[in-house]
Amino acid sequence: MKEKLETIRQQALEEITHAAESEALEQTRVKYLGRKGELTQILRGLSQVAPEERKTMGQAANEIKEAIASALEGRKRELEAKELEEQASRNRADLTLPGRRPRIGHKHLVSQVIEEIVDIFSGMGFQTATGPDIETEYYNFESMNTPEDHPARDLHDTFFVKDGVVLRTHTSPVQMRVMESTNPPVAVVVPGRTFRVDNDASHSPMFFQIEGLLVDKEVNFAELKGALMHFVHSFFGKDTAVRFRPHYFPFTEPSAEMDISCTVCGGQGCRLCKHQGWLEILGCGMVHPQVFRYAGYDVEEVTGFAFGMGVDRIALLKHSIDSIHHLYENDLRFLEQF
Amino acid sequence: MRVSLNWLREFVDIDMSPEQLADHLTMLGLEIESVERLGQDIKNVRVGQIRSIEPHPNADKLTVCQTDVGDGQPLQIICGATNMKVGDKVPTVVDGSVLPGGFKIGRRKMRGVESQGMMCSETELGIGEDAGGLLILPEDVSLGADVVSLLELDDVVFEIEVTPNRGDWAGVIGVAREISASLGEELELPDIHLITSERQQAADVSSVTIDDEELCPRYAGRILVEAEVGESPAWMKARLHAAGVRAINNVVDITNYVLIETGHPLHAFDLDTLTEKRIIVRRAEDGESIRTLDGVERKLDRDVLIIADAKRPVAVAGIMGGEDTEVGESTQNIFLESAVFNPRFIRHGSRSLGLITEASQRFQRGADPAMARYALDTAAALMREYVDTDVLEGVLDEYPSPERPRQVTLRYLRTNEVLGDEVPPHRQSKFIQNLGFETVEETSTASTFRVPTWRHDVREEADLIEEVARLHGYGAIEPEIPKIARRGEDLAPEEMRLRRLREFVVGLGYTECITLAFGNPEDTKAAGLNGGAGDMVTLMNPLSEKHSAMRTSLLPGLLRTCAHNLNHGVDDQALFEMGPVYFPRDNQTLPSQHSRLGLLLTGRRRPAHWSEDDADMDFYDIKGYVEAILEYFGLQPTFRESHQTTFLPGQAAEILAGDKPAGCFGQVAPGASRAYEIDADVFVAELDLDVLLGIPRTPPQYRPSPPYPPYLRDMAILVPRDLPAGDVIELVWENGGELLQDVQLFDVYTGERIPEDKKSLALNLVFQSHEKTLSSNDTQAIWDRIVEQLQERLGAALR
Repeated sequence: MKEKLETIRQQALEEITHAAESEALEQTRVKYLGRKGELTQILRGLSQVAPEERKTMGQAANEIKEAIASALEGRKRELEAKELEEQASRNRADLTLPGRRPRIGHKHLVSQVIEEIVDIFSGMGFQTATGPDIETEYYNFESMNTPEDHPARDLHDTFFVKDGVVLRTHTSPVQMRVMESTNPPVAVVVPGRTFRVDNDASHSPMFFQIEGLLVDKEVNFAELKGALMHFVHSFFGKDTAVRFRPHYFPFTEPSAEMDISCTVCGGQGCRLCKHQGWLEILGCGMVHPQVFRYAGYDVEEVTGFAFGMGVDRIALLKHSIDSIHHLYENDLRFLEQF
Repeated sequence: MRVSLNWLREFVDIDMSPEQLADHLTMLGLEIESVERLGQDIKNVRVGQIRSIEPHPNADKLTVCQTDVGDGQPLQIICGATNMKVGDKVPTVVDGSVLPGGFKIGRRKMRGVESQGMMCSETELGIGEDAGGLLILPEDVSLGADVVSLLELDDVVFEIEVTPNRGDWAGVIGVAREISASLGEELELPDIHLITSERQQAADVSSVTIDDEELCPRYAGRILVEAEVGESPAWMKARLHAAGVRAINNVVDITNYVLIETGHPLHAFDLDTLTEKRIIVRRAEDGESIRTLDGVERKLDRDVLIIADAKRPVAVAGIMGGEDTEVGESTQNIFLESAVFNPRFIRHGSRSLGLITEASQRFQRGADPAMARYALDTAAALMREYVDTDVLEGVLDEYPSPERPRQVTLRYLRTNEVLGDEVPPHRQSKFIQNLGFETVEETSTASTFRVPTWRHDVREEADLIEEVARLHGYGAIEPEIPKIARRGEDLAPEEMRLRRLREFVVGLGYTECITLAFGNPEDTKAAGLNGGAGDMVTLMNPLSEKHSAMRTSLLPGLLRTCAHNLNHGVDDQALFEMGPVYFPRDNQTLPSQHSRLGLLLTGRRRPAHWSEDDADMDFYDIKGYVEAILEYFGLQPTFRESHQTTFLPGQAAEILAGDKPAGCFGQVAPGASRAYEIDADVFVAELDLDVLLGIPRTPPQYRPSPPYPPYLRDMAILVPRDLPAGDVIELVWENGGELLQDVQLFDVYTGERIPEDKKSLALNLVFQSHEKTLSSNDTQAIWDRIVEQLQERLGAALR
């Protein structure tokens, strides 16, 4: 009996090792462990074995059964792996063939830049505000301390809809609309379309601006600088140099223009910066008391700063685009680059 | 404005390089746009004297001159000019010299005779346009002297952008004053030594009357007699050239010279052409006209201020003189004008006549009444010297109500509050004083200053704070991040929703366009939209016909963009634009503005792929996207056929959200495609975002999914061919009871084995229960009811 078991064990393991494919392996399993399998029959026949031997024989038979089962399992995995590998060699994906891609959409560069800038300022606590594209002359000019016949109006070539109604030439009128409808403190950024009668290599009759306004007790020029420098460093990078120089805007006093070190040459001087090393980025200043008077704010109680920047110009500078007209031509070969 | 460094140095000591000065001025608010070095490439040009002039043996138009440059041996120079005579001193280029543009002069033979140098005209020295003859230098210049230093040709010219508030910067003195204030240097204004002639009093010869002193606060004139109109001295021409002004004659040149120096415009009349030799400053009468110096006949009206004589207009005040009274070669007697005109009136006149001049630009910014007199006397003194004229005694100076200087108080603490810095009081008051303000009263906390006559821009404390900040230096103020008080309410809640929508549409594979928000009736009508009078907001001064109005739809812009991209070989397009459209509104000041979303599809449904055949987009592609976007808004819209002529009939729908029209979509009609030069099937949609965003959204409430598996059953039916599939689905839902969870239409078939007037629909019905696993027994009754109803109400038959 014992010898018989040992023979079965050896034969079975031999056959398992030599089984060349899954089917042969399955036959081996049936042969030994199947319902009528050799080992199964021995196990069944144990009842006729003498009780004193039964225990040891049973144990031995079960050990052999497990050994065969485990060998079967091991061989099965080997054969499966081999078969998958064979399959793969018949059906290997060409990694260089393009996959089935969905159509990829692109947000317009101007939208991307607006969102990025707005996000930087909302991080500082500025809320978004908006106003109408078609504005009254009062909001666009007068309330911004630019009465009729003010020489600064010459700088704004204005589209007129009718007497007293214009396409807004800047986003500044929204300053007044916000101040009229809320009490200080006010902290807003205003992205929007603006229009001027101008169409050449560097001007489009429609363009985008972002306006900013902060009004509260004790807002000062140092904070104007701080907020705008934070913006520059977030948007153009920490190494960008910033300078503020005096300028004139009717609605701010003191007024400033902000320059950044040239995005191409880093300040060494090149064609883009006209060899000055600096690029003008935006206008800003402390809100003119006259503007507060129009808003009905107490000029002794509050101070504020305001700024306005051309989104288009900033987009062109950041991405080395040579003409503003690319932005509004909407050539897909352009749009898909961003 | 172009400002010469040599000229500035007449008024203030400058101890820095031109580059440093440019930077310094820029940081003061006088933005330097360019720095140009003059005379740098002129080398070794000397004063020569012509000793003899002989005809050239081989050329009629050339002469052979012997010119002495002080080296003992005269140079033999062949010359083509004819304006010189023996004894004249002229700029002479000797062998090895260099002229502007790097021209090197050497010995050479001209028609067989050696020429050892060259004698120069203005043009060759780069100081003027007169190439007609040699530049004849004054007799008293010394032989052999370096012409570059003699004429101050080595100069630096700064191109300065003058801001509209600072009229005083539009002159050399104003810029010099700014430099002096910022450096703490003295401004040296020379005294004017005007010697007048007592032969007659100006008032006996001429008179000045101002009709409206508000329009002309000051008018001063001097009478100059027996003038010799001719050429200006070379140094003056060189200065004018540096400033970018063309030399004309000595009288005009001096008025220009003084204009550049003082910033104050002057005008010279030929006195003898003035009727009764009188000057009257008045509004023009309707119907009057004048031929201005530029040769244009101009019609005048009551809104134009003029200078008139006893009879007629002789100048448009502060803008341009008249041709009839211009100073010319025959002029003998001169009326020299220096006045101050109302800036608004000048601006208005300049715009209505379409005439912008050096003078008008300066008067618009506000002239300085004190400078008016200074400029007049400076010019008179120069004319006495260089026009060889007598200046009659007495000034015709009408200044009825001299302006009372404004006073403005500066609180030192306020300055520091506004700037966020600590500028000590004594520094603050020093800055202001250096700019020419006089202290009227001073305490430990504040000072009151008298504003100088040239500072029209300073009206209140904030203006003085800016002056302190400028001279203190913006760069000296340490930046600080503002502490911003947060507010409760959102000022523009729709902005964030639009932004998320943009992300969603981009996620669907669409690329965003931003087109100009203009439009025009023709394009609008071509897109099948209303573009008649009153349908669009039109512009009074459009750039072009194409942009004559504001758009009323996003579709024209998208169609244009599509055409552009098709022309550039991009056949597959999925475009969108989010933006405003505008409509006129009766009885309202401002038109209405609405947010729209426009979509455009053309070309292949999916990007081309090697594994599958291309399929072009059709109506159901655009519809699918519209449905996806409406689902994004949480809406279940209904669609009804649209007859808008934008679309191909039968391939167009109108969207109803709730009961509100919320847009439309469909295939673009051939007519519209043709109008936009598109040769492809194009599908567009336009959604009204005001409507979609305006529909209140309640947060979706959770519905548990049934825990038991669904029981699925397919149904194939034949229905009349023109029956909308939606009717079938609706009826199934109506009769499905609680167990029906979903109905999917998975096939629509017409063709073989189906009668002509029928179509086959295949539906997948999903039944599911929260209580148990369903079997056919549980759903048979529902199924039977549905089938029966379909037969009865829609004429459907099970296949």
